[in-house]
Amino acid sequence: MNKKIVSGLAIAAAATLAFGVVATAPANAAAKKTVTLAFQGPLTGGDAQLGQDQIPGAIYAIALYNAKNPAVKVELIKADSQCDGTVAANIAPGVAANKAVIGVVGTSCSGEARNSFPAYRAAGLTMIAPSASAVSLTDPKAPDRGFPIFHRVVAHDGFQAPALARYAAKGVTAPKYYVIDDMTTYGGPLAKGTLATAKKLGTVVGTDSVAKGTADYTSVASKVKASGANVVIYGGYTTDAAKLFKALRDGGYTGILASGDGTNTSDFPGLAGKAAEGVRLTAADVPFDKILTAAQLAEFTKITGVKVPGLYSTTAFNATNIFLDCISQGKLTRPAIQLCVNSGSFKGVGGDVIKFNRYGDIIGGAPVGGYLVKNGVIIYDAVA
Amino acid sequence: MWPLPFGGVATLHNTLDLNRSVDMNFSVVTSQFWSLVLQGLALGLIYALVSLGYTMVYGVLRLINFANSEVFMFGTFATLYIEVHFLGYGINAPSLHGFKLVYTLAFALLASMLACAILAIIVELVAYRRLRARGANRLASLISAIGVSIFLLEGMRIITISRPMTTPRLLDKWSFGEFHGANFRIDTVMTIIAPIVIFVVLDQFVNRSRLGKSIRAVSMSEENSKLMGININRVITLTFCIGGLTTGAAAFLYTTVYENTIFNVGFNMGIAAFTAAVLGGIGNLRGAFYGGIALGLLEQFASAMLGSQWKAVTVFTVLVAVLLFKPNGLFGEAVQQTRT
Amino acid sequence: MANLTRFNLRDKGADIWAGWSRLVRTIFVLGFIVLMGLLPFAAAWGPTSFLNTPITSFQNVLVYPVGMFILMALGLNIVVGKSGLLDLGYVAFFAIGAYTQGILSTLYGWNTWEIMPFGIAFAMLAGVILGLPALRLRGDYLAIITLGFGEIIRIVAINLSITGGPNGIPGIPNPPSIFGLKFDLMHPQIYFWLVLAMILLVVWMVRRFTIRRPGRAWEAIRQDEDVAALMGVNTLVYKLWSFVIGAAVGGAAGVLYASKVAVISPDMFKFDVSILILACVVFGGIGNIWGVIMGAAILAYLPERIRFISEARQLVFGAVLILMMNLRPDGLLPRKKREKITEKRSTNV
Repeated sequence: MNKKIVSGLAIAAAATLAFGVVATAPANAAAKKTVTLAFQGPLTGGDAQLGQDQIPGAIYAIALYNAKNPAVKVELIKADSQCDGTVAANIAPGVAANKAVIGVVGTSCSGEARNSFPAYRAAGLTMIAPSASAVSLTDPKAPDRGFPIFHRVVAHDGFQAPALARYAAKGVTAPKYYVIDDMTTYGGPLAKGTLATAKKLGTVVGTDSVAKGTADYTSVASKVKASGANVVIYGGYTTDAAKLFKALRDGGYTGILASGDGTNTSDFPGLAGKAAEGVRLTAADVPFDKILTAAQLAEFTKITGVKVPGLYSTTAFNATNIFLDCISQGKLTRPAIQLCVNSGSFKGVGGDVIKFNRYGDIIGGAPVGGYLVKNGVIIYDAVA
Repeated sequence: MWPLPFGGVATLHNTLDLNRSVDMNFSVVTSQFWSLVLQGLALGLIYALVSLGYTMVYGVLRLINFANSEVFMFGTFATLYIEVHFLGYGINAPSLHGFKLVYTLAFALLASMLACAILAIIVELVAYRRLRARGANRLASLISAIGVSIFLLEGMRIITISRPMTTPRLLDKWSFGEFHGANFRIDTVMTIIAPIVIFVVLDQFVNRSRLGKSIRAVSMSEENSKLMGININRVITLTFCIGGLTTGAAAFLYTTVYENTIFNVGFNMGIAAFTAAVLGGIGNLRGAFYGGIALGLLEQFASAMLGSQWKAVTVFTVLVAVLLFKPNGLFGEAVQQTRT
Repeated sequence: MANLTRFNLRDKGADIWAGWSRLVRTIFVLGFIVLMGLLPFAAAWGPTSFLNTPITSFQNVLVYPVGMFILMALGLNIVVGKSGLLDLGYVAFFAIGAYTQGILSTLYGWNTWEIMPFGIAFAMLAGVILGLPALRLRGDYLAIITLGFGEIIRIVAINLSITGGPNGIPGIPNPPSIFGLKFDLMHPQIYFWLVLAMILLVVWMVRRFTIRRPGRAWEAIRQDEDVAALMGVNTLVYKLWSFVIGAAVGGAAGVLYASKVAVISPDMFKFDVSILILACVVFGGIGNIWGVIMGAAILAYLPERIRFISEARQLVFGAVLILMMNLRPDGLLPRKKREKITEKRSTNV
């Protein structure tokens, strides 16, 4: 190619990048009839599926609301914090500075929640998280608690971890646990949280921590087999869980495999193949398609383009609905929303009552569901 | 600096309150010795194949080919594409046997090698050639290679929507039998034999053939090779091509053994392979081979003895120690050859 | 084309600078600093509002990544640009500074100004401990060792409980106010001024070093280490100095960063950050502080500015790196011509 053309193109490209299309939506605070909610979670990056599964729940809730309430319209903006604390630390001040935003549906991950708190707390912006489940976020004593702005409609790991240990050993008389984690903010504490219950129900014959993204799990598999364990619990995400469970089965391990909600994604059975059969999973979530009627599901698909609602669609829907409830009561400012969310009593989509305690957890706790993989599909089994 | 993770001193343990204390477990070394050796070899030889992508390029250009990890990633997806979309084996396809298995795998292997070789050549054209022609400094090439790496990584991420993908189990994992606890499974045996064959062929090629000799000539002195009438650009393209071929073979083996891939699969593999190349002595063909094996064994034994969380720390500590005593790696070239 | 690639803004700028009197220089420098100080308000002012970043807050972007990256790139430039050592684990020093701030402030209640000297000292100490063995090695062996060091620091931080394991350290207090300027999250411009002051300090320090003995020694080492050793330069000591000073800047940036974000965790100190900072240095022009500042500003700002194409953001970033390096291999503002090594094949950096 002609050199001049190349350099010309380069300059043009650079100029477009530097000063090009400004897609800022400095939504006008003066506009009376539109308020904005922000969805914050991973929409790109390695954990994108988590956020991509949740956002249809929020979109669906807002579409239903807008159809019924012509007076005050609600818009949704997406704040993609990639399940990454560093990114969230920059995103959150930006969302907080946008005066039109009166509530945040999010975050999906615990790490990004903690890094968002300082900015949202300073701005008095209320958060309702569909899936951030680290215990410390609502622990009155933890320095990184989200009080008073943080709320979540999901059971935290303090409930999930013991439930996971219980559900994993269901029907086993003398469980010998082997607990493995992926050294992340999510997997580490979840795995650690199962230990106390595991020791109560049986014995813990070994623990290991394998960094997320490791290729080879054979040495872990040999260790597990040598330890004589019959219940393996993994705290981590889908991709690595699939690799680990495959390595364990190929290594001749025949006991129970179990993991938490990080693994409970629709991808998992396909990724783990035969090793997925019988794997026990937990999630602080009841499947959305189990709650919706056929007509509602068709409407959901029509609005969002998603056929089968993913994990945590229900909680995302609930979280958004709480904001929408407050908005329909005429609460259109940040302090009013905060007061409304803190003190109000709301109805979940399944008919359950949602009322937050002082530190942002649902009073009475949200249920933890136990799931099984059967014939390549994750099916809801029982309350764990 | 070092809170002595290996310290058995009780007081130190208490004051630091190690979150994941190190349970030194020497009994595994005796009980699982052969099993660890076998798995270490299998893993190490995959590292060795990928590290050729670094070491070959380093040999002639004295540059770290940072895009090689993405070439590997590309190979895993090429294998997956061939098996799932081109040959039409769905996720639940039954395992193949006999002749059909052999030619299916051979086809996937060749396709992956070819795809990686082509990509490696393109990488050279985009990231290195123009810069080399202008005599640019080495770091500029390094950054443009990183640019290519980011571009490929992000491109694949967008194409696959960040989703992990899986290949069907075409190769049923039957076992030849056990030896002192070491399970000689077909895939383990394959990942040990195939790289050895490739290395022998490559070693012969570089040492015997005319083209191989020209590669060695360029790596010793580019100026002199030019004077001897060697077409430098062709040799460099050939080097990238060979690096791509071996990386492609590694990608095929990886995909066949671990049966999954994701857009960022290359990152860990790239770091491991680069470490292996340095451990063995970068720029040196046999160094990459032994470096890979050493790294594979080291990782397996460190995981078994200290716990997987200390694996990377152990590897780099050993690397530093080796380089202190052998500054050019275990099988490094003589010092006068490392500089021109 | 030829004009574009050969045009050396740095030399041209130096010519203009040399022509000025002392008074004009002072006025120019002060005016420039004031202009930079007003930068946080650029997004709100009409004519410059195109600078505003979508979704993320512009004033915060100015502090991190832009300001911090400039600071770290300046620090890394001492190592890579001045003495020619390839360091792929620079983020380790940043992490050490950040964790020093995190641990000392949450455990012992010290404030940022008290911790700053310790953060810098620990980073320098780490620089010595790593540098003494590593700097005996040449070129790319140093690269892998530093890379490994960066990973080790991160993994150790994950594995220990004093660093909070994978959770990191939450609840790090903001710095106490100085001169009535209050540091809190609603006023990121105060942080920016602090970072700006630190950048100016580092620039001044680097310029001092460059024209004195260490600068000349680094230059000699970069051009040819063997010759430098023959001429009586104690290469190990001076290489160690450049390494340690670079580490100190990284440590200072880390302390400040931790007190700004209030929560730190190991995943903030990944290998990518080291690579990105190295890219800033090379993109702007190795060895030239103004080039490095410009490179870091652009590479830190660009991904935030084009956040609206969130899917393809990093893709474009990669393409920009390739394109820039192919068009201007010496960076935006290359170093002085006389400082360039006469290029034979495979020059040492």
